[in-house]
Parts: sequence; structure tokens; C-alpha cells
Amino acid sequence: MSDQGESGAGGLTGLVQGLVDAIVRLYRWLYKGLERTVYMGVQYTYPRRFVTPLGYLGVLTGITFLVLGITGGLLMIYYQPTLTGCGSLTCAFASIERINDSVPFGWLIRNIHYTASNAMVLLAVLHMYYQYFSGRFKIKNEVLWVTGVILGIITGVEAYSGYDLLFNQRAGLAIEIGSSLANASPIIGGTLRLSVFGAGFSDFVLRLYAGHVFILPMIMLILVFWHFPRYLVFDLPVISTVVGGLFVIAAIFPVAYQPGPYNPGNGQITIPEWYITGIYALIRTEFDKFVMGGLMPALLFLMALVVPFVDTSKKLNWKDRPFFTAIGITSIAQIVITTAWGFYVNPNPNPTCVVNGAATSGTLCRLFVDPVLYFSSMLGVTLLSFVGTYAFLRYLKAKERVRRATSPLGPLLTKKWVYITFTLLILAQVALAGLALLSIFGFHQVVGNVTIDIAGGLKSMTLFDTGAILVTFGVVVHLYRYSQSLPF
Amino acid sequence: MAGAILSLVPFVPWGNFLLSTVSSTGADQKQTVVLDMNTPTNRNANGAVAGKTVNVNDLTSFPPNGSWLITYPTSGDLTVDSENPDSFQKYQLIRLPEQLGGSDKSAAAFVAFSKVCVHLWCSPNYDPIIDPTTKQRSTNPNDETYQCPCHGSIYEVPDGLAIAGPAHFQPAPTNAIPMLTLTADSNGDLVILPPVWDVDHNGVLGFGRNYQSYDTQILPAAKGTG
Repeated sequence: MSDQGESGAGGLTGLVQGLVDAIVRLYRWLYKGLERTVYMGVQYTYPRRFVTPLGYLGVLTGITFLVLGITGGLLMIYYQPTLTGCGSLTCAFASIERINDSVPFGWLIRNIHYTASNAMVLLAVLHMYYQYFSGRFKIKNEVLWVTGVILGIITGVEAYSGYDLLFNQRAGLAIEIGSSLANASPIIGGTLRLSVFGAGFSDFVLRLYAGHVFILPMIMLILVFWHFPRYLVFDLPVISTVVGGLFVIAAIFPVAYQPGPYNPGNGQITIPEWYITGIYALIRTEFDKFVMGGLMPALLFLMALVVPFVDTSKKLNWKDRPFFTAIGITSIAQIVITTAWGFYVNPNPNPTCVVNGAATSGTLCRLFVDPVLYFSSMLGVTLLSFVGTYAFLRYLKAKERVRRATSPLGPLLTKKWVYITFTLLILAQVALAGLALLSIFGFHQVVGNVTIDIAGGLKSMTLFDTGAILVTFGVVVHLYRYSQSLPF
Repeated sequence: MAGAILSLVPFVPWGNFLLSTVSSTGADQKQTVVLDMNTPTNRNANGAVAGKTVNVNDLTSFPPNGSWLITYPTSGDLTVDSENPDSFQKYQLIRLPEQLGGSDKSAAAFVAFSKVCVHLWCSPNYDPIIDPTTKQRSTNPNDETYQCPCHGSIYEVPDGLAIAGPAHFQPAPTNAIPMLTLTADSNGDLVILPPVWDVDHNGVLGFGRNYQSYDTQILPAAKGTG
């Protein structure tokens, strides 16, 4: 390799070569060492061919968890889970402001953490529904399903406690409502609230922090040992694409830490994060707070927990299980309807309305979710989606029988369509980059006395480009792999 | 074995693990009403009164139909009080509208409601409703209300009884907001009397109060020494 004539350069090359060799040897040594560790119990499978994107959802949830762990660990360095002693702002809020505005790379880390937290909730839900419809949770996989549902609940609690740590207006209200919902549970309520949340806001923030960064993640890590399947689909291009996608979303929609620090004197109507608006809508129907805010969501989780012990047939495909498929579709419809209701607030600043037979006005009219309207729409959606799904599946079955008889399965994607998809993806990249560029100039403006700062300018671009590179890598590698493989 | 454990369950002090109870360190005592400093309502909307001591004779700084944020019990340091976001130590001081006697130069012109809604602990605010037809502040005394921005509980002023919204559907005593007893000293400075934290007197924060009308429960104390 090295040229004997030029001893100086040759020596350098030799040195570099030696270094590279040493690194390779170290890597091999570490890799071989894995044989002696617990990880050998987990078999990773590297698929040669793309199977179905939905099959990766579980691993993607795990990868998002890792991303959250890394960025969360970095955020811990600057975050202060205390309230008083930092001037006119609470320490918690002031430290978030500091992370966002002055700590180097703090803005990037915080935005990735926030986007990843939302993605994890979403991915966990999608993962659950895929496992449900594909029937993978059945037959000896019940343990995986049950631990999965518990992990899902903890993910929700993690997301909730995470957005409470900001201690902005929304967080303050969420903490108050969360603690008083715990307090409203029968018999154990007071004890539950005092032991989980503590007393007073200093306690609330500190305990939510302890739970968010240590206690809950530890429980999740332990539960994951009962949640990993025997064969874990681990696909680099897909992971790269999704992590890159997280970055791109974080860049295009940077999250604000507003609306301002928590202040009990602030009378603004504040809508919670999207995964809690369902409960918010239920509470706003004015029925008992514990039944609506505690029992109803608990029922949903309980239903999910018992499903593998009820749906015990040996049929896996969703088309062969019309009853349980219909139940699944219905639950999706219910969640969507309830969440949508939660977002609804009467836009009229001073409306008048009739609540339970009495004419009223003001805040109540803006927030009131009419139980008659709400529960009848819920019933309607339940009936429609259940009957609809059931009928559709029977129709599908008849059609499938005819189709199978006439023509066999063809390739999923022809080469021509691979090229078209590839071109479209590149165009999408260009469009997104343009959008991000525009955001530097376009979305930073003042309307009235409100500053709309949707994008973070150059910081956005950095994050966007990193994400775009990861996405492009994933997509190109996948398309190459796909074009090389035989169609079925 | 399981039976033995189960029968012991009621006797285990479950509540003592990690338990932390509300401790009012400053001890409840007489306290002059001083407005918080860092809240927008005290700073802007009703004149620059932040940090001021409330005097019942001062109708310009503390006009009828105005509302401000106060802290009780105080830590003794106004800066620390103002930084404290704990709504369990916050109260909304309201000078009643004129038709309810807000222009009286006595403590009876004021009420102080807890900032903790008895429904789900959100923080309600004083809202002098604007009449939809006249576009003026309503003259109907029942229209001046204390409203919660989270789930829409509406409390009557000056009684603090929930008249609409989820808190209204809760059984007594969980349907009235706790409030402080106010009086005025010889200079006219507004003073908070030591509260009795049970449902029959000032109420239990975040829980409720046995509703008694403003005239029988609050007014005598306010008029008596004021």
C-alpha cells in the first residue's frame, strides 16, 4: 500500500492504516463480546427485502424511545425542576427559555425531543392497531400484547409529565387537572394524589420530573424485556427515514414554549396536547369528573388488555375476524371523534347558549360540550363503523373468492413505478427544502400584538437538512434494494 | 398467606409512603392585603397597582368591578410571593360592581375567592360580563361571575356558589368556592382575618364550602370591624 520511495508520506499512511486497523479490531472485539451478553437472547433480523412498513412500527417506537433518551439526557443538564428563585419567571420555565434561546444546540435538542415524544405516542398507537388487525398478538403472544398495552399507558403518562415540565400556562393547568383527577378517585383518591403528585406546585414539578426522567423510563426498560418478540425486525433504511422524518418535522414545525409561563391569573382558554383532548372533551360534558376523566379512559385500556383472552380463535387475518375488526375500527372512530370534540371551542368570544335548560353565557358557552350531541354522535359513529365494517368484510370475502379464482397475485410495484416514486420523492425534497427556506422569511411576523414565530430560521434549516439527509439515505437505499429484488 | 396479607391491608398506613401534606408554614394569621407584583392583571388592566396595599377608601386605584391577584398566607416577602405560582395560595380580590355595593368605602365592597376551582383545580377569573344587546357591562347583578377557563364552571358573585358548569352539578359542599374573610383597619387598609379551613367557614381549598349567602356569612365580619 504505502510507497517505499516517499518515506515521510509512507510513514503517515502507515500510521493512518494502523489506526484504522486498530479501530476495526476494537469494533470486532466489541462485536464478538456481544456473544457473552444478554443481547444474544434477542435475535435481530435484517430483512433482505422490504416486508411491509407497518411491521416496523414497533421497532420505530423503540428507536424513538432511544432518541428521546439521548435528547432527554442532554436536556437534563440544563433543565431545573424548581419554581422559585429565578426572578419573575419560575425556574422551570426560565430554564426552558434558556435551553431554547441561549444554550448551544439547545433549540435543536429540545425540538427533536418534543417531536419525538409526539411521534412515539403516535407510533405506539399505530403499532398497537397494526398488531391488533394483523392478529399478531394472538396465540402465545398474549404476554407481548399485555406488556405492550401497559407500555402504551406509560408512554402516555411520560408524554403528559413531559409537557408538564415546561411549566407554561398549558402545563400548569394540566398539572392542576391531573392532580385533582387523581384526588377525585374514590377511597384512595387523597392518598393517591398526595403520594404521586405531592402537595403544592413545587412538589408537583419535582415529582413529575423524577417520574419523567427516571422512574417511568426504568419501568419501561424492565417491561421491554417481556415485550421484545423472538424475531425483531431491524431495518436500517426505515429507521434512518423515520429519524430523519422526525428532524424534518421538528424543523418545519418548531415548537414554541408559549403561551407564557404559568400564571393563575391568566384566564385564557387553553387546549391540552392532542393525546389528552379526548379526556378534555369528556370532562366538558359536565358529567362526574371521575367517571369521565378516569373511568372512561380506564375502560378503553381495560378493553385493550383483555382482547387476547377474548379473541381466542386461531384466525389471524383481520378479514377473517369480522367482529373484532369491527370493534377495532369502532374504537378508532371513537377516539378520533372524542379527540376532535376536545379541540372544539366556540370561536365566538362572548356567546350565549342554553346549558341543561338554563340560559347562560361566557366561558361556559365556549367550552360546553353538549352531552346529547356528543353522546348521540358517539353512538351513531359506533353503530355506523361497526355495521359498516362488518358488512364491508362480508362483501370483501365474497369478492376475494372471485378474484383468487380468476387471477394470481402480481408484483407490488413495477420498475416503472419505482422510478416514478423516486422522482416524486426528490421533488418532495426540493419542495420541502424550499418551504423551510421560505419559513426563514415568511413565518416570522407580527400580527397585531401577537408574534407568530413558526419557524426557527437558520436553526430550522440545520435540523431540516440533517433530517433530509437521513430520509434521503433511507429512501435511496430502500429503493435500490427493492429494485434489485425479484417481484415475489 | 394471601388471606393474612389481605386482612392486614386496611391497617397498613398506605398514605404515609412518600406522602406530603399541604403545610401552611407561615401559619394563618391576620394579613394586610398587598397585591402581587408580576401578574398582568395587577400590572396593566387596572392601573399600575402591583405591589400596592389595598385601601378601601381608594376608589381610583381600586375601582368597583376591578379584580386583582393576591397571596395568602404571605411569606413575608412580596417578591417571593409574586414568584410563587402555587394557586393554592392565590386568591382573586374583587371589588364588587356598584350595584352590589362596590363603591362603599368598607371591606364589604370586596370579596376574595380562592383561585382553585372546586371542580378540577383550574384557576377561575372574575368576568364582568358584557351585555350582548347593549354591549355595555351588564347591570344584572347575577351576570358578574367568577368563571373557570378550563371546563366552564361559573360562580356567582359575591356568594361564590356555582350557578352553572360542572361545579354546579357537584353535591354540596363541593359546589361553592372557598373564600377569605376580609375586614378593614382604622386606616381603611384591607385585612384578611385568619381563616377557619373547614367547609362551614371559609371552606376547604380545592374541595368546597357549605354555601351560605353573602349577607349571613361574609358581610357581618366585613361590616363588624370595618
